[in-house]
Amino acid sequence: MASEDEINLLVIVVDVNPIWWGQQAQREPEFTLSKCLDAVMVMGNAHMAMTRTNKLAVIASHCQDSHFLYPSKSWRGGDSGAEDASSSGDGKYELLSIANNLIAEEIRNVMSKTEVRGNSTDTLLAGSLAKALCCILSIKTVYSFQHLRHVIKAAEDCALQYMNFMNVIFAAQKQNILIDACVLDSDSGLLQQACDITGGLYLKIPQKLALAQYLLWVFLPDSEQRSQLVLPPPAHVDYRAACFCHRNLIEVGYVCSVCLSIFCNFSPICTTCETAFKIQLPQMVKPKKKKLKQST
Amino acid sequence: MKLRVQLQCKNLHEYLRELSPEILDRLYNHPATCLAVYRELPSLAKNYVMRMLFLDQPLPQAAVALWVKKDSQKDHDECVSVLAGLRLWHCQQLQGGLQGYILNPVFKDNLRIALLGGGRAWADEGSTLGPDRHARDIDSLDRYAMERWEVILHFMVGSPCAAVSQDLAQLLVQAGLMKSEAGEAPYITSAGFQFLLLDTASQLWYFTLQYLKTAQSRGMDLVEILSFLFQLSFSTLGRDYSVEGMSESLLTFLQHLREFGLVFQRKRKSRRYYPTRLAITLAAGVTTSSTSSSSSSSSNLASTPATGDAGFIVVETNYRIYAYTNSELQIALVALFSEMLYRFPNVVVAQVTRESVQQAIANGITAQQIIHFLRTRAHPVMLKQTPVLPPTITDQIRLWELERDRLQFTEGKHAYLCVCVCVCVCVCVCVCVCVCVCVCVCVCVCVCVCVCVCVCVCTSLRNSLEFIDVHG
Repeated sequence: MASEDEINLLVIVVDVNPIWWGQQAQREPEFTLSKCLDAVMVMGNAHMAMTRTNKLAVIASHCQDSHFLYPSKSWRGGDSGAEDASSSGDGKYELLSIANNLIAEEIRNVMSKTEVRGNSTDTLLAGSLAKALCCILSIKTVYSFQHLRHVIKAAEDCALQYMNFMNVIFAAQKQNILIDACVLDSDSGLLQQACDITGGLYLKIPQKLALAQYLLWVFLPDSEQRSQLVLPPPAHVDYRAACFCHRNLIEVGYVCSVCLSIFCNFSPICTTCETAFKIQLPQMVKPKKKKLKQST
Repeated sequence: MKLRVQLQCKNLHEYLRELSPEILDRLYNHPATCLAVYRELPSLAKNYVMRMLFLDQPLPQAAVALWVKKDSQKDHDECVSVLAGLRLWHCQQLQGGLQGYILNPVFKDNLRIALLGGGRAWADEGSTLGPDRHARDIDSLDRYAMERWEVILHFMVGSPCAAVSQDLAQLLVQAGLMKSEAGEAPYITSAGFQFLLLDTASQLWYFTLQYLKTAQSRGMDLVEILSFLFQLSFSTLGRDYSVEGMSESLLTFLQHLREFGLVFQRKRKSRRYYPTRLAITLAAGVTTSSTSSSSSSSSNLASTPATGDAGFIVVETNYRIYAYTNSELQIALVALFSEMLYRFPNVVVAQVTRESVQQAIANGITAQQIIHFLRTRAHPVMLKQTPVLPPTITDQIRLWELERDRLQFTEGKHAYLCVCVCVCVCVCVCVCVCVCVCVCVCVCVCVCVCVCVCVCVCTSLRNSLEFIDVHG
């Protein structure tokens, strides 16, 4: 059995891009954002019910920024001290009902107060991941613990965040943090790479209505049990890099020899490290001087 | 010479398996019990239960067997047996004639309620009574809990200042921890000594189990009490709960818990109660075995409630023990197996000697318990080194125990030898007769000798001789 000091922290990052969810509500009215959050809460409850030392955090990833849905107050006041929020008054375990109420309240605040400005319609996923990573590492210094996880639910992908994303992924890999991804709509190359590099699971869900079941069956087991259970096999990963100038995915390109940044077109100065490249020009052919014939 | 009785500290699952099926089914009617039982399952079994929680139809056994990889087949079988032993799932015939598994419907419904909501509330929060004017904070609750628990331990050790109620004294006697002669005060038994050296969580759980065993004889409903106990273990520390809607037997049980230090109530008739840290860690104490492994991060909960700080014993390689405490109880416990040398206001110096350890062993304590006691109360300075206790000390204590363990008893075997002897006699007689036909004297002698030998052997075997195996 795990000793008292081990904490298993699950951070769930939920993509709440209002534009995508709005379109989704018109396409399939049965599966809306509230249903999605219900499934997330079921999974969070199941995780916290497993052992006393399991903890949960939920982050909502929006177009402008990312918010912590749970816990909203300071982390250290975990289970000691009376909570101000009252429990639901039914048979649910007290801790879970407090968490669920907090999440519901916070998501309502987030969705009603945040505005969407015209040109930024993509979700700031890399930012949310970075926030989650910071949250995990801040706890790591206080307690000693073994397993950490990240579950992401994403709707669509964006190449502009490639660099930030890769930095976050490598930082997570260094800290032995697993990143799992659960994708609703279209395959995301970035998330596939993230799961492959950190050792997590990637799954594209065929039926959105069964989201809760997929979460409980595939993503709930922690890393010890994943080695024992039969789970979906890893997908083929698209490892193409994105160029630093246009953020297009390219297969052949130019690489700076100093900082290894990738460009699709040649440029004499590297924009990242500002090294000047010496260009070899073709040699000028000097005209041969004719020897003057000496007259005898 | 009587053999030592080893103190058995069962865990929750073993206890539940001993209950009858009807009681188990009634127990699973409460969401708190289901959640407590779920938490004690092995992790693979937890995943199985979670997967089947939302299914209404049975799953074929073959499908369930495919959930695990081939290498983990043994874990799968273990999980199946654990779940079946606790009656959490049943085998059911499917339509195609295959065998299938389905979760116990009562358990399934109540676990769903615990996770998702619905159903009756577990207990009324004190919100209906308004805020408490005499509210207690967590530190005072901790102090209260430790005071009450230590009074019981003091009583066992025999300190004159400790006084407990008749009920409690009787419970201790029934649990085998103390013995009482007619009319005299109870005194401690060897099982009691072993109990004293356990860590607080195991002590609590053992005590609670003994209480539950006697619950039927007191006329209390076992199911009600167990459900209330589990509900307590899931409550929040520092929050008050109301006694509305609790039956008579539950109120009596609450008074007993108040005496053990598991809940705090300002007065006997008070309408609200506060669970203390001991109650909340009760369920946690269930999983840790009484002889925990030698990991340096031994749970602080075990040692924190005992003295208010984490660990206070320093053991040196010259067999000296320095105990930084002035609690009478802790000093008495250390004195059980060591010789006191000096006593100062904040520290007690003792020496572990051959005589003192063997005296303790004669009282029924094992070397493993002494080592466990030292390890769980080790000072933080000691916890920094690995292994926590010096290996010389632990090995020597074990060797001193082995010095007394030089005899081993085995049951004697006597059945088949008699038959052999009889056969031999017959053969002998026949042979004698054949050979010495003319000489009557010879025949008589032979027969007499054989018969005598046979008789002697039989009688000694009939006294069931025990073969004593002596090792030097």
